[in-house]
Amino acid sequence: MLKKSIEFFFEPRSVAVVGASEAPGKLSAVIMDSLLSSGFTGKVIPVNPKYSSVKGLKCFPSVSEIENGVDIAVYALPASLTLRALRDAESKIKGAIIVSGGFGEAGDAGKGLEREIKDIVRETGIRVIGPNCMGIFDAVSGLDTFFIPRTRIARPRRGSLSIISQSGSFAITAMDELASAGVGVARVVSYGNKTDVSETDCLRFLSEDPHTKAVAVYIEAIEDGRSFIEAATACASKKPVFAIKVGRRGAGSAAALSHTGAIAGNYEAYRAAFRKSGVMELDGYDEFIAACKAFGSAAEAKGPRVVIITDGGGMGVSIADACVEAGLEVPPLPEDLKEMVREGLPSYFSINNPIDLTGSVTDEMYADALDKTLSDDSFDIAIVAALWGPPGLTDELPALLSERAQGIKKPVLVCSPGGAFTRSKAELFIKCGFPVFQTPEAAVKAASILARRAPRRKG
Amino acid sequence: MDAQAIDRLVIEAQSLGRKTLPEPDAKEILRLSGVPVPRSFVAKDLSGAVEIARKIGYPLVLKVVSPDIPHKSDVGGVALGIRNAKELEEKWAEMVLNVADESATSMIEGFLVEEMAPKGAEVIIGAVRDEQFGPLIMFGTGGVAVELMKDVSFRLGPLSKKEAIGMMTEVKGFALLTGYRGETFKDIEAVAEIILMVSHIMEEVGALKELEINPLLVYERGVMAVDARAVLK
Repeated sequence: MLKKSIEFFFEPRSVAVVGASEAPGKLSAVIMDSLLSSGFTGKVIPVNPKYSSVKGLKCFPSVSEIENGVDIAVYALPASLTLRALRDAESKIKGAIIVSGGFGEAGDAGKGLEREIKDIVRETGIRVIGPNCMGIFDAVSGLDTFFIPRTRIARPRRGSLSIISQSGSFAITAMDELASAGVGVARVVSYGNKTDVSETDCLRFLSEDPHTKAVAVYIEAIEDGRSFIEAATACASKKPVFAIKVGRRGAGSAAALSHTGAIAGNYEAYRAAFRKSGVMELDGYDEFIAACKAFGSAAEAKGPRVVIITDGGGMGVSIADACVEAGLEVPPLPEDLKEMVREGLPSYFSINNPIDLTGSVTDEMYADALDKTLSDDSFDIAIVAALWGPPGLTDELPALLSERAQGIKKPVLVCSPGGAFTRSKAELFIKCGFPVFQTPEAAVKAASILARRAPRRKG
Repeated sequence: MDAQAIDRLVIEAQSLGRKTLPEPDAKEILRLSGVPVPRSFVAKDLSGAVEIARKIGYPLVLKVVSPDIPHKSDVGGVALGIRNAKELEEKWAEMVLNVADESATSMIEGFLVEEMAPKGAEVIIGAVRDEQFGPLIMFGTGGVAVELMKDVSFRLGPLSKKEAIGMMTEVKGFALLTGYRGETFKDIEAVAEIILMVSHIMEEVGALKELEINPLLVYERGVMAVDARAVLK
């Protein structure tokens, strides 16, 4: 059976919130607030037999009584009540987002409820996201079903990175970090128990989505491996797809009869699946966030050659070491370029790679060095490690770098290690749209992930 | 590959309630798939072994055949380089005692008398069927220390030739096939063919849960699967 695309979930004309309420602390109240304050332009319709209006909107006793139906209904009801409410609505909606927990993750009774949801999906053709999930945050349409208030978890600006996640808490934590890092998102989907909609459906949709330029995936377990590979291969052939797989234990069984069985655990199969699909696997949360920043706010890299520009020699060398360790190249400047960069600089400056602009550095020298090296064909990526000690550096630096690097379609990653003062300056880089990293290792991780996607990457 | 003959062999093993195929049957699957294996026969008693030895000639290898002994050398169930009938007799007696000692409750189906393959580089090629993703193929540096070294690479089947080559170049031990320290350059093409064949067998024979060749001996020209095991679903 060919299932309906999940596209309609992301830009619905109308959304019903089943179990809507104003009671502070209730999930449904937070969802109402999220929907009403996110710039969502579709209709928001509260549903609850207990009220005649919620947040100033007419409240319906049930979805079936809404004239003309609704595109999607969000269920924030106890698990035991959700099924009946879903049955009541099934002919009126295209899709449901069930945020409630208490289903398959909670034991046999919950598993039974999920089987019933499956039956409804099969009988009616509606699509279901969840249960036990956050649903959708969509910066394109403004749809926001996440039940955590914005005061606790900030929503990122609109951008071109989409995130799909089995875990709601992972999705919102990443979102919150990206919001602080100035990285924009397009669609964020948390699909929880994935009774119906799974990562495979999301990848199929995002593959065709013009608003999505890169896809980040958080995976606990995949049920239908072959469909995943098919969908991921299609998506990764069009845009960067990167994934983190958690729950890696359960390595090969010690009792296995073959060496292969003893070594090959389920995780090896996941790694091989990512590899077959062209999905870049990320190692841990740091690398996941680094990749989100890289693909969310940097240009694509055309190769692995990095130029490092800094005013701190030690930091420069430490970045160079990390680059080599990560398989990146840190080639010396060609002679003619060296001469060009040297122009107007004091003779004691070390114009190698890293380029050390020393404590005598000024904003202009940084901008000049970046402009000249990155415009040259010898480099694909720049890492700028601005240490804020030198008096010649001012608050104008980030804007100046941004202005001078603008026409060059190559990634510029900012590494900004340091304490309170430096962090306040890092904000200036973020405001100018740079991906900013606290440590050399994080910046290099981002560079190496960008380079992995480069055209001449290894097969 | 003779899929029908392999199916018959597997169905027969299943009807006997077997979970693992003894070495001769695992090798028979390989032989039916065109993978080179040494000439061998199973002997039930010493006079049978001597008879077989006369047929295939010395030197030869003697190995215990038992579904209960996955790692034969661990229990003294492998004797290499047997040069004549006298040695065969000695090794036979020794092995019967070893196995009785080390693995007293194992069911012994006989002893494999096998042509001794010349030395070569040792690699392992294995496969397990993953519940979610299907056949997962492994290549690596072979021998008894595979699990210790874990110098292995993985790909999901079905494999392309490019993937098979990629699996080989990824492991450190690849250098042993390409002239490391004065060694000769080995038949990499033939190894790639065997990797592809193991992937193909797993695709075709759904009842197989695991299949492993260890070691596959690799020569300047050609390869030889000198030990193999297969596990049924």
